Amino acid sequence: MVCADHGAYLLNLTLKEVAQDGEKLAQVIQYCHELYRYDMVLVFSDPYVEAQAMGCPVELEPYPTLLGPAARHSYDRTPEIIHAAKILKMKLDVPVFVSVKGPFTLASFLAGIENYLKIILKRENEASRFMETAMQYQLQYLERLLSLGVNIMIGDPLASSSVISPQMFLKYAFKALQTLVDKTKTHGALVAIHICGDVRPISEYLDKLGADILSIEDIELRTETLKMGGVGTSTILNGDPNRIKSEVDTALENKNVILSTTCDVPPHTPPENIKTMLRIASEYGNIER
Amino acid sequence: MFDSIKQAVIEMDDEKTKESVSIALKEKVDPVEILEKGLIAGMQEVADLFARKEYYVPEVLLCSEAFYAGFDKIKQLIKGSSRKPGAKIVFGVVEGDIHDIGKNIVKVMLEAAGYEVIDLGRDVPVLEFVKAVEREKPDILAISSLMTTTMTHMGEIILELEKRNMRNAVKVIIGGAPVNEEFAASVKADGYSPDGPSAVKLIEKIVSG
Repeated sequence: MVCADHGAYLLNLTLKEVAQDGEKLAQVIQYCHELYRYDMVLVFSDPYVEAQAMGCPVELEPYPTLLGPAARHSYDRTPEIIHAAKILKMKLDVPVFVSVKGPFTLASFLAGIENYLKIILKRENEASRFMETAMQYQLQYLERLLSLGVNIMIGDPLASSSVISPQMFLKYAFKALQTLVDKTKTHGALVAIHICGDVRPISEYLDKLGADILSIEDIELRTETLKMGGVGTSTILNGDPNRIKSEVDTALENKNVILSTTCDVPPHTPPENIKTMLRIASEYGNIER
Repeated sequence: MFDSIKQAVIEMDDEKTKESVSIALKEKVDPVEILEKGLIAGMQEVADLFARKEYYVPEVLLCSEAFYAGFDKIKQLIKGSSRKPGAKIVFGVVEGDIHDIGKNIVKVMLEAAGYEVIDLGRDVPVLEFVKAVEREKPDILAISSLMTTTMTHMGEIILELEKRNMRNAVKVIIGGAPVNEEFAASVKADGYSPDGPSAVKLIEKIVSG
Protein backbone atom coordinates (compact mmCIF):
# COMPACT_ATOMS: atom_id res chain seq x y z
CA MET A 1 0.00 0.00 0.00
CA VAL A 2 1.39 3.41 -0.96
CA CYS A 3 0.69 5.44 2.11
CA ALA A 4 3.29 8.16 2.69
CA ASP A 5 1.02 11.06 1.64
CA HIS A 6 -1.84 9.65 3.71
CA GLY A 7 0.48 9.03 6.68
CA ALA A 8 1.74 12.60 6.50
CA TYR A 9 -1.86 13.81 6.62
CA LEU A 10 -2.65 11.63 9.64
CA LEU A 11 0.45 12.81 11.51
CA ASN A 12 -0.11 16.44 10.59
CA LEU A 13 3.11 16.69 8.60
CA THR A 14 3.36 18.46 5.25
CA LEU A 15 4.19 16.45 2.15
CA LYS A 16 7.27 18.64 1.80
CA GLU A 17 8.54 17.67 5.24
CA VAL A 18 8.12 14.01 4.41
CA ALA A 19 9.62 14.30 0.91
CA GLN A 20 12.87 15.84 2.10
CA ASP A 21 13.50 14.08 5.38
CA GLY A 22 14.22 10.35 5.45
CA GLU A 23 13.43 10.05 9.11
CA LYS A 24 9.98 11.58 8.72
CA LEU A 25 9.34 9.48 5.61
CA ALA A 26 10.16 6.35 7.62
CA GLN A 27 8.00 7.63 10.48
CA VAL A 28 4.84 8.05 8.36
CA ILE A 29 5.33 4.73 6.60
CA GLN A 30 5.86 2.95 9.92
CA TYR A 31 2.82 4.71 11.40
CA CYS A 32 0.57 3.55 8.55
CA HIS A 33 1.96 0.06 8.76
CA GLU A 34 1.21 -0.13 12.49
CA LEU A 35 -2.25 1.33 11.99
CA TYR A 36 -3.32 -0.98 9.17
CA ARG A 37 -0.94 -3.98 9.49
CA TYR A 38 -0.48 -4.69 5.80
CA ASP A 39 2.11 -7.11 4.55
CA MET A 40 4.75 -5.03 2.82
CA VAL A 41 5.79 -1.40 2.85
CA LEU A 42 6.96 0.84 0.05
CA VAL A 43 9.43 3.67 0.52
CA PHE A 44 7.99 6.28 -1.80
CA SER A 45 7.47 9.98 -1.29
CA ASP A 46 6.90 11.24 -4.84
CA PRO A 47 7.97 10.34 -8.38
CA TYR A 48 10.61 13.06 -8.76
CA VAL A 49 13.45 11.99 -6.44
CA GLU A 50 15.85 10.84 -9.18
CA ALA A 51 14.80 13.56 -11.64
CA GLN A 52 15.52 16.23 -9.05
CA ALA A 53 18.86 14.67 -8.16
CA MET A 54 19.69 14.87 -11.88
CA GLY A 55 18.82 18.54 -12.14
CA CYS A 56 15.07 18.85 -12.74
CA PRO A 57 13.46 21.73 -10.82
CA VAL A 58 10.89 20.32 -8.39
CA GLU A 59 8.61 22.30 -6.10
CA LEU A 60 7.87 20.40 -2.89
CA GLU A 61 5.00 22.59 -1.64
CA PRO A 62 2.12 21.91 -1.24
CA TYR A 63 2.74 18.68 -3.17
CA PRO A 64 5.96 17.58 -4.89
CA THR A 65 5.58 18.80 -8.47
CA LEU A 66 7.91 18.60 -11.44
CA LEU A 67 8.39 22.10 -12.85
CA GLY A 68 10.44 21.41 -15.94
CA PRO A 69 13.23 19.54 -17.68
CA ALA A 70 16.71 19.11 -16.23
CA ALA A 71 18.66 22.32 -15.77
CA ARG A 72 21.82 22.93 -13.78
CA HIS A 73 20.85 22.84 -10.15
CA SER A 74 20.26 19.49 -8.61
CA TYR A 75 18.93 18.63 -5.18
CA ASP A 76 19.69 15.11 -4.15
CA ARG A 77 17.08 13.50 -1.93
CA THR A 78 18.29 9.93 -2.60
CA PRO A 79 20.25 9.87 0.72
CA GLU A 80 16.94 10.57 2.51
CA ILE A 81 15.22 7.71 0.69
CA ILE A 82 18.11 5.42 1.61
CA HIS A 83 17.95 6.61 5.21
CA ALA A 84 14.21 5.87 5.36
CA ALA A 85 14.76 2.44 3.81
CA LYS A 86 17.43 1.59 6.40
CA ILE A 87 15.20 2.62 9.32
CA LEU A 88 12.22 0.62 8.04
CA LYS A 89 14.36 -2.39 7.24
CA MET A 90 15.60 -2.37 10.81
CA LYS A 91 12.26 -1.72 12.51
CA LEU A 92 9.71 -3.72 10.52
CA ASP A 93 9.34 -7.41 10.01
CA VAL A 94 7.69 -7.17 6.58
CA PRO A 95 9.38 -6.83 3.17
CA VAL A 96 10.56 -3.29 2.48
CA PHE A 97 10.30 -2.14 -1.13
CA VAL A 98 11.89 1.05 -2.39
CA SER A 99 10.46 2.87 -5.39
CA VAL A 100 12.69 3.75 -8.35
CA LYS A 101 11.52 5.30 -11.60
CA GLY A 102 11.53 3.30 -14.79
CA PRO A 103 14.14 4.73 -17.18
CA PHE A 104 11.52 5.73 -19.77
CA THR A 105 9.57 7.80 -17.25
CA LEU A 106 12.78 9.27 -15.84
CA ALA A 107 13.99 10.17 -19.36
CA SER A 108 10.63 11.91 -19.92
CA PHE A 109 11.10 13.96 -16.74
CA LEU A 110 14.64 14.92 -17.78
CA ALA A 111 13.62 16.02 -21.27
CA GLY A 112 10.27 17.52 -20.23
CA ILE A 113 7.37 15.09 -20.59
CA GLU A 114 5.58 16.63 -23.56
CA ASN A 115 8.82 17.27 -25.37
CA TYR A 116 10.01 13.71 -24.79
CA LEU A 117 6.79 12.17 -26.05
CA LYS A 118 7.30 14.10 -29.27
CA ILE A 119 10.99 13.33 -29.77
CA ILE A 120 10.54 9.58 -29.36
CA LEU A 121 8.73 9.76 -32.71
CA LYS A 122 10.66 12.52 -34.43
CA ARG A 123 14.22 12.53 -33.11
CA GLU A 124 15.14 9.00 -32.15
CA ASN A 125 18.84 9.58 -31.47
CA GLU A 126 18.09 12.34 -29.03
CA ALA A 127 15.41 10.21 -27.37
CA SER A 128 17.87 7.34 -26.99
CA ARG A 129 20.46 9.62 -25.42
CA PHE A 130 17.98 10.65 -22.71
CA MET A 131 17.22 6.96 -22.13
CA GLU A 132 20.92 6.23 -21.80
CA THR A 133 21.44 9.02 -19.24
CA ALA A 134 18.42 7.87 -17.22
CA MET A 135 19.58 4.27 -17.40
CA GLN A 136 23.08 4.98 -16.16
CA TYR A 137 21.76 6.92 -13.20
CA GLN A 138 19.26 4.21 -12.29
CA LEU A 139 21.87 1.44 -12.45
CA GLN A 140 23.98 3.27 -9.87
CA TYR A 141 20.99 4.15 -7.70
CA LEU A 142 19.81 0.54 -7.86
CA GLU A 143 23.25 -0.63 -6.76
CA ARG A 144 23.09 1.64 -3.69
CA LEU A 145 19.61 0.39 -2.80
CA LEU A 146 20.30 -3.27 -3.34
CA SER A 147 23.30 -3.13 -1.00
CA LEU A 148 20.79 -2.31 1.77
CA GLY A 149 19.02 -5.61 1.23
CA VAL A 150 15.70 -4.03 0.25
CA ASN A 151 13.33 -4.99 -2.56
CA ILE A 152 12.62 -2.79 -5.54
CA MET A 153 9.47 -1.40 -7.10
CA ILE A 154 10.03 0.14 -10.52
CA GLY A 155 7.38 2.72 -11.36
CA ASP A 156 7.11 3.48 -15.06
CA PRO A 157 3.72 5.18 -15.53
CA LEU A 158 4.60 6.99 -18.74
CA ALA A 159 5.40 3.66 -20.41
CA SER A 160 1.72 2.65 -20.09
CA SER A 161 -0.44 2.12 -23.14
CA SER A 162 -2.56 5.03 -21.95
CA VAL A 163 0.40 7.12 -23.08
CA ILE A 164 2.64 5.38 -25.62
CA SER A 165 2.06 2.65 -28.17
CA PRO A 166 3.20 -0.92 -27.58
CA GLN A 167 5.75 -0.35 -30.36
CA MET A 168 7.27 2.59 -28.49
CA PHE A 169 7.18 0.57 -25.28
CA LEU A 170 9.20 -2.15 -26.96
CA LYS A 171 11.55 0.29 -28.60
CA TYR A 172 12.39 2.40 -25.54
CA ALA A 173 11.05 1.11 -22.24
CA PHE A 174 11.24 -2.68 -22.40
CA LYS A 175 14.98 -3.29 -22.55
CA ALA A 176 15.69 -0.76 -19.83
CA LEU A 177 13.13 -2.39 -17.52
CA GLN A 178 14.59 -5.79 -18.31
CA THR A 179 18.06 -4.62 -17.28
CA LEU A 180 16.78 -3.28 -13.96
CA VAL A 181 14.69 -6.40 -13.27
CA ASP A 182 17.63 -8.71 -14.03
CA LYS A 183 20.02 -6.71 -11.89
CA THR A 184 17.61 -6.76 -8.93
CA LYS A 185 17.08 -10.49 -9.25
CA THR A 186 20.79 -11.29 -9.34
CA HIS A 187 20.98 -9.64 -5.93
CA GLY A 188 18.28 -11.99 -4.67
CA ALA A 189 15.82 -9.16 -4.05
CA LEU A 190 12.17 -9.07 -5.10
CA VAL A 191 11.21 -6.76 -7.94
CA ALA A 192 7.80 -5.28 -8.63
CA ILE A 193 6.76 -3.17 -11.60
CA HIS A 194 4.11 -0.49 -11.23
CA ILE A 195 2.45 0.94 -14.31
CA CYS A 196 -0.85 2.81 -13.96
CA GLY A 197 -3.31 3.11 -16.80
CA ASP A 198 -3.87 0.65 -19.63
CA VAL A 199 -1.35 -2.20 -19.88
CA ARG A 200 -3.46 -4.67 -21.81
CA PRO A 201 -1.56 -4.20 -25.11
CA ILE A 202 1.80 -4.77 -23.39
CA SER A 203 0.86 -7.47 -20.87
CA GLU A 204 2.75 -10.11 -22.81
CA TYR A 205 5.96 -8.07 -22.61
CA LEU A 206 5.41 -7.34 -18.93
CA ASP A 207 5.21 -11.08 -18.27
CA LYS A 208 8.40 -11.58 -20.26
CA LEU A 209 10.28 -9.25 -17.91
CA GLY A 210 10.05 -11.92 -15.24
CA ALA A 211 9.34 -9.53 -12.36
CA ASP A 212 7.91 -10.96 -9.14
CA ILE A 213 4.94 -8.61 -9.02
CA LEU A 214 3.00 -6.43 -11.47
CA SER A 215 1.19 -3.55 -9.82
CA ILE A 216 -1.49 -2.61 -12.36
CA GLU A 217 -4.96 -1.10 -12.44
CA ASP A 218 -6.66 -3.84 -14.44
CA ILE A 219 -6.66 -6.60 -11.86
CA GLU A 220 -8.69 -8.89 -14.11
CA LEU A 221 -6.07 -8.91 -16.83
CA ARG A 222 -4.69 -12.39 -17.36
CA THR A 223 -0.99 -12.46 -16.58
CA GLU A 224 1.51 -15.13 -15.63
CA THR A 225 3.06 -12.75 -13.12
CA LEU A 226 1.58 -12.21 -9.66
CA LYS A 227 -0.52 -9.03 -9.72
CA MET A 228 -0.98 -6.35 -7.10
CA GLY A 229 -3.84 -3.84 -6.85
CA GLY A 230 -7.61 -4.09 -6.91
CA VAL A 231 -9.08 -1.10 -5.07
CA GLY A 232 -9.19 2.18 -6.98
CA THR A 233 -7.86 5.40 -5.51
CA SER A 234 -11.22 7.16 -5.71
CA THR A 235 -12.95 4.09 -4.24
CA ILE A 236 -10.73 4.24 -1.17
CA LEU A 237 -11.21 8.00 -0.90
CA ASN A 238 -15.03 7.72 -1.10
CA GLY A 239 -15.19 4.73 1.16
CA ASP A 240 -18.53 3.32 -0.01
CA PRO A 241 -18.40 -0.17 1.61
CA ASN A 242 -20.38 -1.78 -1.21
CA ARG A 243 -18.04 -0.44 -3.82
CA ILE A 244 -14.98 -1.46 -1.80
CA LYS A 245 -16.45 -4.94 -1.34
CA SER A 246 -17.15 -5.38 -5.00
CA GLU A 247 -13.61 -4.35 -5.95
CA VAL A 248 -12.03 -6.54 -3.27
CA ASP A 249 -14.19 -9.46 -4.41
CA THR A 250 -13.25 -8.98 -8.05
CA ALA A 251 -9.56 -8.84 -7.12
CA LEU A 252 -9.58 -11.84 -4.84
CA GLU A 253 -11.61 -14.03 -7.19
CA ASN A 254 -8.29 -14.17 -8.95
CA LYS A 255 -5.80 -16.49 -7.32
CA ASN A 256 -2.58 -14.66 -8.11
CA VAL A 257 -3.35 -11.27 -6.60
CA ILE A 258 -1.90 -9.24 -3.73
CA LEU A 259 -4.68 -6.91 -2.63
CA SER A 260 -3.72 -3.24 -2.55
CA THR A 261 -4.90 0.15 -3.69
CA THR A 262 -4.06 0.67 -7.36
CA CYS A 263 -1.94 3.76 -6.67
CA ASP A 264 -1.21 6.21 -3.83
CA VAL A 265 -3.85 6.43 -1.12
CA PRO A 266 -5.15 10.03 -1.43
CA PRO A 267 -3.92 12.00 1.63
CA HIS A 268 -7.35 12.88 3.04
CA THR A 269 -8.70 9.33 2.93
CA PRO A 270 -10.53 8.55 6.20
CA PRO A 271 -8.66 5.66 7.93
CA GLU A 272 -12.00 3.89 8.33
CA ASN A 273 -12.10 3.34 4.58
CA ILE A 274 -8.79 1.48 4.58
CA LYS A 275 -9.88 -0.54 7.59
CA THR A 276 -13.08 -1.44 5.74
CA MET A 277 -11.02 -2.68 2.81
CA LEU A 278 -8.81 -4.79 5.11
CA ARG A 279 -11.80 -6.13 7.04
CA ILE A 280 -13.52 -7.24 3.85
CA ALA A 281 -10.30 -8.83 2.65
CA SER A 282 -9.80 -10.64 5.97
CA GLU A 283 -13.15 -12.34 5.45
CA TYR A 284 -11.38 -14.37 2.79
CA GLY A 285 -9.77 -16.15 5.71
CA ASN A 286 -6.16 -16.42 4.76
CA ILE A 287 -5.02 -13.24 6.43
CA GLU A 288 -4.10 -13.18 10.09
CA ARG A 289 -4.90 -9.97 11.90
CA MET B 1 -7.07 20.31 -51.68
CA PHE B 2 -8.83 19.74 -48.34
CA ASP B 3 -7.62 16.19 -48.39
CA SER B 4 -3.97 17.18 -48.48
CA ILE B 5 -4.46 19.45 -45.44
CA LYS B 6 -6.32 16.70 -43.66
CA GLN B 7 -3.64 14.13 -44.51
CA ALA B 8 -0.83 16.45 -43.40
CA VAL B 9 -2.48 16.75 -39.95
CA ILE B 10 -2.97 12.99 -39.73
CA GLU B 11 0.63 12.40 -40.81
CA MET B 12 1.86 14.71 -38.00
CA ASP B 13 3.57 16.94 -40.57
CA ASP B 14 3.42 20.58 -39.46
CA GLU B 15 5.45 21.89 -42.41
CA LYS B 16 3.23 20.16 -44.93
CA THR B 17 0.12 21.40 -43.11
CA LYS B 18 1.29 25.02 -43.28
CA GLU B 19 2.22 24.61 -46.92
CA SER B 20 -1.10 23.07 -47.87
CA VAL B 21 -3.02 25.78 -46.02
CA SER B 22 -0.95 28.47 -47.81
CA ILE B 23 -1.71 26.93 -51.20
CA ALA B 24 -5.41 26.83 -50.39
CA LEU B 25 -5.35 30.48 -49.28
CA LYS B 26 -3.59 31.51 -52.50
CA GLU B 27 -6.32 29.80 -54.45
CA LYS B 28 -8.86 31.93 -52.54
CA VAL B 29 -10.46 29.05 -50.69
CA ASP B 30 -12.69 30.25 -47.83
CA PRO B 31 -10.63 30.03 -44.59
CA VAL B 32 -13.66 28.67 -42.73
CA GLU B 33 -13.76 25.79 -45.21
CA ILE B 34 -10.00 25.26 -44.83
CA LEU B 35 -10.58 24.97 -41.10
CA GLU B 36 -13.63 22.75 -41.23
CA LYS B 37 -12.96 20.50 -44.20
CA GLY B 38 -9.16 20.37 -43.83
CA LEU B 39 -7.78 20.93 -40.35
CA ILE B 40 -10.78 19.89 -38.28
CA ALA B 41 -11.55 16.93 -40.52
CA GLY B 42 -7.94 15.84 -40.00
CA MET B 43 -8.13 16.21 -36.23
CA GLN B 44 -11.42 14.29 -36.15
CA GLU B 45 -9.74 11.42 -37.93
CA VAL B 46 -6.88 11.67 -35.39
CA ALA B 47 -9.43 11.44 -32.56
CA ASP B 48 -10.85 8.30 -34.19
CA LEU B 49 -7.37 6.79 -34.54
CA PHE B 50 -6.75 7.58 -30.86
CA ALA B 51 -10.08 6.05 -29.84
CA ARG B 52 -9.21 2.91 -31.85
CA LYS B 53 -5.78 2.77 -30.14
CA GLU B 54 -3.95 3.15 -33.43
CA TYR B 55 -2.61 6.50 -32.25
CA TYR B 56 -1.31 7.18 -28.76
CA VAL B 57 -0.42 10.38 -26.88
CA PRO B 58 2.85 11.12 -28.77
CA GLU B 59 1.13 10.83 -32.16
CA VAL B 60 -1.77 13.05 -31.01
CA LEU B 61 0.66 15.67 -29.66
CA LEU B 62 2.39 15.88 -33.05
CA CYS B 63 -0.94 15.97 -34.91
CA SER B 64 -2.08 18.79 -32.62
CA GLU B 65 1.09 20.68 -33.44
CA ALA B 66 0.36 20.29 -37.13
CA PHE B 67 -3.26 21.34 -36.56
CA TYR B 68 -2.24 24.53 -34.71
CA ALA B 69 0.50 25.28 -37.26
CA GLY B 70 -2.19 25.37 -39.95
CA PHE B 71 -4.74 27.10 -37.71
CA ASP B 72 -2.29 29.95 -36.92
CA LYS B 73 -2.24 30.81 -40.62
CA ILE B 74 -5.98 31.32 -40.84
CA LYS B 75 -7.23 32.32 -37.41
CA GLN B 76 -7.02 36.07 -38.07
CA LEU B 77 -9.00 35.58 -41.27
CA ILE B 78 -11.72 33.63 -39.51
CA LYS B 79 -12.40 36.20 -36.76
CA GLY B 80 -15.75 37.82 -37.35
CA SER B 81 -16.69 35.25 -39.95
CA SER B 82 -19.96 33.41 -39.96
CA ARG B 83 -18.55 30.38 -38.17
CA LYS B 84 -20.64 29.69 -35.10
CA PRO B 85 -19.16 27.48 -32.42
CA GLY B 86 -21.18 24.78 -30.68
CA ALA B 87 -21.27 24.84 -26.92
CA LYS B 88 -18.88 26.97 -24.90
CA ILE B 89 -16.58 25.12 -22.55
CA VAL B 90 -14.40 26.49 -19.75
CA PHE B 91 -11.56 24.07 -19.14
CA GLY B 92 -8.72 23.86 -16.63
CA VAL B 93 -6.46 21.68 -14.48
CA VAL B 94 -6.94 22.03 -10.70
CA GLU B 95 -4.62 23.83 -8.32
CA GLY B 96 -1.40 22.07 -7.40
CA ASP B 97 -1.48 20.05 -10.59
CA ILE B 98 0.67 21.00 -13.55
CA HIS B 99 -0.10 17.98 -15.71
CA ASP B 100 -1.80 19.49 -18.74
CA ILE B 101 -0.93 17.17 -21.62
CA GLY B 102 -4.22 15.33 -21.22
CA LYS B 103 -6.16 18.58 -20.97
CA ASN B 104 -4.48 19.91 -24.11
CA ILE B 105 -5.32 16.77 -26.06
CA VAL B 106 -8.93 16.88 -24.96
CA LYS B 107 -9.01 20.58 -25.83
CA VAL B 108 -7.84 20.14 -29.41
CA MET B 109 -10.37 17.34 -29.90
CA LEU B 110 -13.16 19.54 -28.51
CA GLU B 111 -12.11 22.39 -30.78
CA ALA B 112 -12.01 20.02 -33.71
CA ALA B 113 -15.54 18.97 -32.83
CA GLY B 114 -16.60 22.61 -33.18
CA TYR B 115 -16.77 23.69 -29.56
CA GLU B 116 -15.39 26.94 -28.20
CA VAL B 117 -12.87 26.23 -25.46
CA ILE B 118 -11.80 28.83 -22.91
CA ASP B 119 -8.55 27.40 -21.59
CA LEU B 120 -7.73 28.37 -18.00
CA GLY B 121 -4.46 26.42 -18.16
CA ARG B 122 -3.05 24.40 -15.30
CA ASP B 123 -2.63 24.88 -11.53
CA VAL B 124 -5.91 26.83 -11.44
CA PRO B 125 -7.25 27.80 -7.96
CA VAL B 126 -10.84 26.88 -7.04
CA LEU B 127 -12.02 30.49 -7.14
CA GLU B 128 -10.54 31.04 -10.61
CA PHE B 129 -12.78 28.29 -11.95
CA VAL B 130 -15.79 29.90 -10.29
CA LYS B 131 -14.92 33.39 -11.57
CA ALA B 132 -14.45 32.04 -15.08
CA VAL B 133 -17.92 30.47 -14.97
CA GLU B 134 -19.31 33.81 -13.81
CA ARG B 135 -17.49 35.73 -16.53
CA GLU B 136 -17.80 33.39 -19.52
CA LYS B 137 -21.19 31.83 -18.80
CA PRO B 138 -20.16 28.55 -20.44
CA ASP B 139 -22.45 25.60 -21.12
CA ILE B 140 -19.87 23.24 -19.70
CA LEU B 141 -17.16 23.46 -17.06
CA ALA B 142 -14.52 20.78 -17.64
CA ILE B 143 -12.06 20.02 -14.84
CA SER B 144 -8.97 17.84 -15.03
CA SER B 145 -6.67 16.40 -12.36
CA LEU B 146 -3.90 13.86 -12.65
CA MET B 147 -2.96 13.41 -9.03
CA THR B 148 -4.46 11.69 -6.01
CA THR B 149 -3.30 14.71 -4.01
CA THR B 150 -5.24 17.22 -6.12
CA MET B 151 -8.36 15.37 -7.24
CA THR B 152 -10.30 16.55 -4.16
CA HIS B 153 -10.26 20.12 -5.50
CA MET B 154 -12.85 19.05 -8.08
CA GLY B 155 -15.47 18.61 -5.38
CA GLU B 156 -14.48 21.94 -3.82
CA ILE B 157 -15.12 23.76 -7.10
CA ILE B 158 -18.57 22.23 -7.38
CA LEU B 159 -19.39 23.09 -3.75
CA GLU B 160 -18.30 26.67 -4.35
CA LEU B 161 -20.64 26.86 -7.38
CA GLU B 162 -23.47 25.54 -5.21
CA LYS B 163 -22.73 28.08 -2.48
CA ARG B 164 -23.06 30.90 -4.98
CA ASN B 165 -26.23 29.51 -6.52
CA MET B 166 -24.41 29.01 -9.82
CA ARG B 167 -24.48 25.23 -9.93
CA ASN B 168 -27.57 24.95 -12.10
CA ALA B 169 -26.25 27.38 -14.66
CA VAL B 170 -23.49 25.08 -15.88
CA LYS B 171 -22.85 21.38 -16.42
CA VAL B 172 -19.65 20.15 -14.82
CA ILE B 173 -17.61 17.28 -16.26
CA ILE B 174 -14.37 15.82 -14.95
CA GLY B 175 -11.51 13.67 -16.20
CA GLY B 176 -7.99 12.52 -15.36
CA ALA B 177 -6.14 9.37 -14.34
CA PRO B 178 -7.14 9.03 -10.66
CA VAL B 179 -10.86 9.79 -11.13
CA ASN B 180 -13.71 7.74 -12.53
CA GLU B 181 -17.49 7.57 -12.91
CA GLU B 182 -18.08 6.89 -9.21
CA PHE B 183 -15.84 9.74 -8.13
CA ALA B 184 -17.72 12.04 -10.51
CA ALA B 185 -21.00 10.99 -8.90
CA SER B 186 -19.61 11.47 -5.40
CA VAL B 187 -18.59 15.07 -6.07
CA LYS B 188 -21.90 15.67 -7.90
CA ALA B 189 -20.35 16.29 -11.29
CA ASP B 190 -22.63 15.82 -14.30
CA GLY B 191 -20.27 13.48 -16.08
CA TYR B 192 -16.88 11.85 -16.41
CA SER B 193 -14.87 10.90 -19.44
CA PRO B 194 -11.58 9.04 -19.59
CA ASP B 195 -10.21 10.67 -22.75
CA GLY B 196 -10.69 13.15 -25.60
CA PRO B 197 -12.96 11.18 -27.92
CA SER B 198 -15.30 10.23 -25.10
CA ALA B 199 -15.31 13.82 -23.80
CA VAL B 200 -16.58 14.89 -27.23
CA LYS B 201 -19.37 12.29 -27.04
CA LEU B 202 -20.23 13.20 -23.45
CA ILE B 203 -20.55 16.88 -24.32
CA GLU B 204 -22.65 16.09 -27.39
CA LYS B 205 -24.98 14.16 -25.13
CA ILE B 206 -25.16 16.91 -22.51
CA VAL B 207 -25.66 19.69 -25.04
CA SER B 208 -28.38 17.86 -26.92
CA GLY B 209 -30.15 17.50 -23.56
